[in-house]
Amino acid sequence: MTEINQHTIGEGINFRSIQDSRFKTVRMSIHFMLPLEQDHAAANALLPFVMCRASKEYPDFTRLSRRLAELYGASLSAEVQKFGDVQVLSISMVSLADSYTLYHENLSKELTELLCSIVFDPPFDSNGLFSAEDFHQEQRQALETIDAEFNDKRTYAKQRCEQVMCANERYGIRRYGSRKAVATLQCGDVTNAWKRVIQNAKIEIMVLGNCNPQPVCDVFASAFAKLDRNTPDSCDTEIIKAAKECKEISEHMEVAQSKLVMGFRAGAQLDTPEETAARLMVTILGGTPHSKLFLNVREKLSLCYYCAARFNSIKDLIFIESGVETKNLADARKEILTQWQEICDGNITDAEIQSAKLSICNSYRTIGDYLGGLESWYLTQTFRPNIQTPEEAAEEINTVTKEEIVAAANRVTLDTVYQLIGNEGSVQ
Amino acid sequence: MNTNIQKITSQRIGDSYYEINHSTGLKIFVYPKENSHSTYAVFGTKYGSIDNCFKRSDEANIQQVPEGIAHFLEHKLFESEEGDAFARYAKTGASANAYTSFDMTCYLFSCTENLYESLEILLDFVQSPYFTEQTVRKEQGIIGQEIRMYDDDPNWRVMFNLLGALYHHHPVKIDITGTVESIAEITPDYLYQCYRTFYNLNNMALCIAGNVEVDKVCEIADKVLKQSEPVAVDRVFEKEPASIVEKRVEQKLSVSVPLFQLGFKETLTQPRKTLEEVISTELLLYILASDSSLLYRRLLDAGLINEASFGVEYFEGPGYASIIFSGESKDPDEVKKQICQEIVQVREKGIDPIAFERAKKAMYGRNVAGLNSSENIANSMISLFFAGREFFSYLDAIAKADIEQVNHALRTQLQEDSCALSVVNPLDTAKENINE
Repeated sequence: MTEINQHTIGEGINFRSIQDSRFKTVRMSIHFMLPLEQDHAAANALLPFVMCRASKEYPDFTRLSRRLAELYGASLSAEVQKFGDVQVLSISMVSLADSYTLYHENLSKELTELLCSIVFDPPFDSNGLFSAEDFHQEQRQALETIDAEFNDKRTYAKQRCEQVMCANERYGIRRYGSRKAVATLQCGDVTNAWKRVIQNAKIEIMVLGNCNPQPVCDVFASAFAKLDRNTPDSCDTEIIKAAKECKEISEHMEVAQSKLVMGFRAGAQLDTPEETAARLMVTILGGTPHSKLFLNVREKLSLCYYCAARFNSIKDLIFIESGVETKNLADARKEILTQWQEICDGNITDAEIQSAKLSICNSYRTIGDYLGGLESWYLTQTFRPNIQTPEEAAEEINTVTKEEIVAAANRVTLDTVYQLIGNEGSVQ
Repeated sequence: MNTNIQKITSQRIGDSYYEINHSTGLKIFVYPKENSHSTYAVFGTKYGSIDNCFKRSDEANIQQVPEGIAHFLEHKLFESEEGDAFARYAKTGASANAYTSFDMTCYLFSCTENLYESLEILLDFVQSPYFTEQTVRKEQGIIGQEIRMYDDDPNWRVMFNLLGALYHHHPVKIDITGTVESIAEITPDYLYQCYRTFYNLNNMALCIAGNVEVDKVCEIADKVLKQSEPVAVDRVFEKEPASIVEKRVEQKLSVSVPLFQLGFKETLTQPRKTLEEVISTELLLYILASDSSLLYRRLLDAGLINEASFGVEYFEGPGYASIIFSGESKDPDEVKKQICQEIVQVREKGIDPIAFERAKKAMYGRNVAGLNSSENIANSMISLFFAGREFFSYLDAIAKADIEQVNHALRTQLQEDSCALSVVNPLDTAKENINE
């Protein structure tokens, strides 16, 4: 079904693949995993973006973009994400499967070569650096991305809550590093990041979809064999089991709708039945349109437009996010806590449990139909001691009992309440 | 029952779907995907936020209703006398949702189990309206919150400000949710009036893609669908002048980066653009402004746009069509100037044949890639059907496009005298960015 083939092709380097002719595309990606560090986060974050701008053969943004367009609009994209206290730098390519091209071209071979060239053989200038022009372009765009996060108040409020909550943990470092760190970067910093990443990062390569992965694997294995790699840096995440006290922070802004974000410590051990129970508990609380938060805070009391709970299992955190009229902030908060307490007290019906299980299983079983979904599923799995298929995870969810759900709710502690307070009155 | 089923196959791709003319008047499309785990179903009506003025074929008078009813109905249909549809889906495990656009309202679910039970729920609740004074009042509160959320959304505001600058009368300029004032006028009577008009099965379609069997869909359809009167609905629009309303519009919001949308309004000679016109325009826009174009590179090098936000789309529907460029920029007026200059220059030279072939391949590849997703298939099928276009013809039209049709588009579209710029700027007081 959606089982992934895996083998190690070098020190800290895994190659994973799923070959499936149902798909009309191929998705190839390489992910570099490093501990989040204040000193390196910004340079690391910029690296995949600078790498994606050019290759030796297509040494300029427009030439590379044109080549990708000719390859049936293949996409080449960079991303930086946080998984717990780990920074993950990704480069992904998606293209049409060879059999769907108009003139029987061999796209997968060309994509493999292009990806390898981008990763191992960047077009450094005569000083051994990335092109200054490419660096400056990406630096400017990273700063604009950071600034744009402010434009979307829902995302912004969630980020602020995370920052306040985890101010003394690596996780408090933003995925791009701080704005100031990005602004003061030099081109040499990103070139050094490339050297560091190639040598020290834990690496996951994935080839998913309608293509034979073996030639891709061979190309990458031989390229890595030429490198002298170090034992990868540890990718552990610090877990704080319980909050000592609740931090409160409110900020005022010229917006029509206020935001309330509550951050909790879940107290659930990763890869144990505690984690599974916490996931189900969060779904019952606020993961679906039939969850306690949706039905009570939104539908019954009309206190907000959205109110949802999410579980970050790797970092053991739960966030409840809500968009609220300013005058309802206190009531919404009270009702959210009441609904959490209901679960702690065991006031959950069998129907609520059953529907939450069905909903989680449905989303797990859908993953196998989307290459992007499979990629992010297995990327997350690499942070767990044992890798599960989505089907196995679904089976496990179905074994959770009511007692375990109640226990999971009772392990949770409220750590931080963040309020973004908008205009009073609210009718404009 | 008197139901007719036809199988349509794409010779190019090898995929097939079934088109069913159900005896109740409903058009059904079923696109089975072998070995798919999931299924995605969408049941929609050709009724969106622009349909505030209409004429039924069985009535003499044109009817006018308050703005925002299509979206209001979308919210309200989830409720029935026995409870809400989400509670019913909770028992099947389907993930359900709905959306209202300018010209359609769609109810959908995706599932991996209990498909036909969920399908029955979908068809049933959309056919079972239930509105009372009390439930309407409560919904006014929830939608009021939603409107306020959109008031803060700079991407939403920059778009509607642009549409207000482009259109004098066409209702596409009105927010899909309506306004706090217009939704206050909504009553159960209005809801029933619009429901009975637009939720007639002759005005609707059902599209299902994924792990699905056509016979079983027909069985459920036979069981649950109610016969509809053969009523047709005509959209009535006030005549829209060719001119725009104003050249530039600006709003200040809590943002740290200015946003812009630049729109080129077009005049329609028929109710809607043809498939060929749409494809020609999209090829033209790819050649002109995709990341492989000279314009894109020039704007990027000048620090005027970024890759994360810059884009261009052909925004077209019943009675309206505009080309819209959008993104974040420190200087939107300069972006406008450079885009307009580039259009003039490219028009003088004509389309480069190499760029044309490249655009064609890229568009073809991305559209074939879209067939991976049942969600994308079902949603595209329904919107193409309501636009009077056939699903696979879209791919064929790309593969068969010739450069002359794109040159024609270049000569006739993107006229500077019908273009408007909308900008959302940061607030003057804005030292409020605590984004460090």
